[in-house]
Amino acid sequence: MSNYKLTTNEKNVLLALDELASTTPEDLAEKASMKVETAMQSAFLLSENGLAEVNDTITELYTLTDEGRTYAKEGLPERQLINAIQEPTPIDELKEKLSPKMVGIATGWLRRKDWANIENGMIVPSGDAGEAEDEKVLARFTKEAHTLEELGTDNKIIKDLIKRKLVSKTEDKDRTVSITNDGTELVKAGITIEEEINQITSQLLKSGEWKNKNFRPYNIQTPPRPVYGAKVHPYQRLIDQMRQIFLEMGFTEIKGDVVQSSFWNFDALFQPQDHPAREMQDTFHLSSRSELPEDYTEGIRDMHEHGGDLPSTGWGGKWSEDIAKRDVLRTHTTAVTIKYLADNPNPPVKAFCIDRAYRRETIDPTHTPEFEQLEGVIMDENMSFANLLGCLEEFYHRMGFEDVRFRPGYFPYTEPSVEPEVYIDGLGWVELGGAGVFRKEVTEPLGIKQPVLAWGLGVSRVAMLKLGLKDLRELYQSDIEWLRKSQVCQLKD
Amino acid sequence: MPIITLQYEDLESLTRSDKDTIIDRVPMIGADIERIEKESIDIEFFPDRPDLYSVEGVARAMRGFMNIETGLCHYDVTPSDITIELDDQIGNVRPVLGCAVVRGINFTSSSIKSLMDLQESLHWGLGRNRKKVSIGVHDMANITPPFKYQAVDPDYKFVPLDFTEPMTMDEILEEHPKGVRFADILEGMKKYPLITDSKENVLSFPPIINGTLTRVEESTTALFIDVTGLGDAVYTALNIVVTSLAERGGKVESVKIIYPDGTEKVTPDMTARDLKLPRSEIDSLIGVELTNEEIINELERMGFGASLSDDGENFDIMVPSYRADILHNFDVIEDIAIGYGFDKIQSKFPKSATIGSAHPISLTRGAMREIMVSLGYSEVMPFTLTSQKVHFEWMCREETDDVTFVLHPISEDQTMVRTTILPNLMEIFSLNQHHELPQRIFEVGEVVVNAKNRLHLSAASIHAQANFTEIREVLDAVMRERDIPYEVAESTDPAFIEGRRADIIIDGKKVGVMGELYPGVIVNFSLGQPIVGFEIDMTE
Repeated sequence: MSNYKLTTNEKNVLLALDELASTTPEDLAEKASMKVETAMQSAFLLSENGLAEVNDTITELYTLTDEGRTYAKEGLPERQLINAIQEPTPIDELKEKLSPKMVGIATGWLRRKDWANIENGMIVPSGDAGEAEDEKVLARFTKEAHTLEELGTDNKIIKDLIKRKLVSKTEDKDRTVSITNDGTELVKAGITIEEEINQITSQLLKSGEWKNKNFRPYNIQTPPRPVYGAKVHPYQRLIDQMRQIFLEMGFTEIKGDVVQSSFWNFDALFQPQDHPAREMQDTFHLSSRSELPEDYTEGIRDMHEHGGDLPSTGWGGKWSEDIAKRDVLRTHTTAVTIKYLADNPNPPVKAFCIDRAYRRETIDPTHTPEFEQLEGVIMDENMSFANLLGCLEEFYHRMGFEDVRFRPGYFPYTEPSVEPEVYIDGLGWVELGGAGVFRKEVTEPLGIKQPVLAWGLGVSRVAMLKLGLKDLRELYQSDIEWLRKSQVCQLKD
Repeated sequence: MPIITLQYEDLESLTRSDKDTIIDRVPMIGADIERIEKESIDIEFFPDRPDLYSVEGVARAMRGFMNIETGLCHYDVTPSDITIELDDQIGNVRPVLGCAVVRGINFTSSSIKSLMDLQESLHWGLGRNRKKVSIGVHDMANITPPFKYQAVDPDYKFVPLDFTEPMTMDEILEEHPKGVRFADILEGMKKYPLITDSKENVLSFPPIINGTLTRVEESTTALFIDVTGLGDAVYTALNIVVTSLAERGGKVESVKIIYPDGTEKVTPDMTARDLKLPRSEIDSLIGVELTNEEIINELERMGFGASLSDDGENFDIMVPSYRADILHNFDVIEDIAIGYGFDKIQSKFPKSATIGSAHPISLTRGAMREIMVSLGYSEVMPFTLTSQKVHFEWMCREETDDVTFVLHPISEDQTMVRTTILPNLMEIFSLNQHHELPQRIFEVGEVVVNAKNRLHLSAASIHAQANFTEIREVLDAVMRERDIPYEVAESTDPAFIEGRRADIIIDGKKVGVMGELYPGVIVNFSLGQPIVGFEIDMTE
């Protein structure tokens, strides 16, 4: 007996049951001085231990509908009709006398009950129309709800009445709680009630009372309500991860204005002035103009027109200051990088920039007119293409891409140029970013004497891979539910 | 970038290899395979290599790359007695001209298409949509040399390609589909370029359209080619077209161009350009020690002529006349690296020791992020392009004069760069109406004011009990964490409710605003619950 571990509530319910033997939840709760829900929770726990039984019985109850009540008083339509005729009578005549609706209902039942036949539009009484079973049942109804026994009938009659919408059925659930033999014996053996602790209070702690009491055990399997904390944007987390990689590799973070002159965005990067990327359909042009940096303008002009002092052909034609002065929303972060290199021409320089760039793209799932771009540069003595590949391998490995390979690429301001590809399970080799050694045509007029290794990539492409996005817009026009449910540790693997 | 369709049959016979080997190797000379079909493959080549814009050009490059035929390709040019004379006006209109004759071609419908495709790709790649280079290809059967390249009045009439009636050149620019498309190239010119034969038959109205008389058909056996434009790219384009026809067995003949001052030039000129490449430059740029033999071998595989100079320190290099991308020694060195194979280059991580440091703006943003998330606000990263409607009108604010507008917006939703963040937060709320409240969001990010970046922090909260006290407490917490003393003062910002709005003041200067959003603003964003918010400038 002693191996039952009962809570105080269970003990109280069991004692109440012992007195009542078998009872309703309401009476049980009253006896045990508890809420009905609490009492029943304990009763169920007791029944799991075989100390009590909870039985549910369902009683079906029947009541007359409004229509049923009318017919109970005035007779069913078929009764009213058969009483109205003695001899074969035309249906049309009856329709006028009674009502078309009533005649309609009645005719079917007259034939089913064999009270009459329909011949040539006439109702012909059979002469045998004694009180039917359903009429007897109808007559037994009072205003109350009745069980089948009270009505003294079987299912079939009542079903027909329900189908005729004369009677409606309701169910009454009766729950009985009773004590079992084991329960009674346990009570006989004696139950002591000790007070249990629900919520720990400061009073309990201070007084030391808690030492003498039991803690009411909780159901630890109850599923918790999901709660979500406020979040750093998952995309920002990815950006910070990339920033961290650069910082660990000894790079300085740089930033610059969104509004840039065409000079820094294009011309300083040896992008010919008639290059298609500079046109209105690809670049966001602004109405404002910037002053050109005096120190470099001459050199850049010479480089574009004839290759300056280098053994380079340049682009030929006339280089226009007016075109170079036009402001644009930066189309790449390289506008910021190149200016930084011009301002800091002494090696070694290792710098990175992760920021927004703007291109005149129509919004769709894989294109947005603004997006984050990542860029890293190294300027130092004796830097070579082989060093660039070494940097790229290290960088992509740290980003979690184990397999990296290189293909020739083309970018207007680097030579050689390379397109790194990373291997992704399920996708194969995926092109991710671009890299190269800055052309001499770029570095020379800015007074940069050492080779510059540069690489960049679209961060949003990585976000799609790492965050499993199908649509880039989700990054910028965020669904708050998605943010709430985003996982802090998602990027760890 | 142009995507070139290569028929396997052509590609295999011109390369003298099988298609699978070619497809496997082609990305390694610098190309992206777009689509592999049953009969053909679509490949995107880089814009600096217009010589690869035809199956003949690709085959030529692959023969070298795959060691089938290496070194400089020689093309024979036979002098002809055909001349073309420039008048004294054309120099002001479209001055540069190069011509050639190619005979003995067996055209099929597919090789005509291939030639037309090459022409179009060159118009794009070298010609900047025909402005700098335009190419005309003519059946020689119905024309009689000598030819004339002249500037004529816009009312000159002839029958253009694809039409049956004579039209004036102005009519062509207004009505002919090609005229309409390229009319802007001739805008503002008083005279238009025209090429005619000795009987006044029109060959071409460059850069717009050919005459109907010289249409190229499968029966065509001899071609006259004119390339007109503004600079030296004209001669490169001519060489690319002519060598690609020669690859198919065409016999190239030169044409004598006679200038108004009596000087002459013979085209096509397919002499290779000489270039001296110091060995040291190769070593230092690639970062791998190659032997002289390796260097010469790779150069020849990439189609260059190459030999070691007498001094032993340099290479004498011959650059094929069809290469448009060799501006500088570096461009040749890249080809050596491509020939050698990027995958064979031993990568080396640079040794230079440097100390990394984060930008102050990033540090500030990181700190703000920590404060705001701890206060229960989630971060958002909206677009910075917006419209006056959302930014000012819906916020019930007057337009300011510090805004950066874009000149040619893609849509009316993106006409300007934001100067504040709060309207973006409102938009995000309106996108999230179907989700549970309260919603609390923030952004710490850049705005552009008077064409300069500024760093703002803005936060907003929407729920049934949102009120001034809530946002006042949050703002106070932010300022306390930043350890910056501040004051508040009555605000006049119409985006907030009068009497429930405050300017945020630091050192007597207004840096921001907070309050309960004006119901008109809430309704403008189609929202239906109270909203509170703040925005502060924290540019340092």
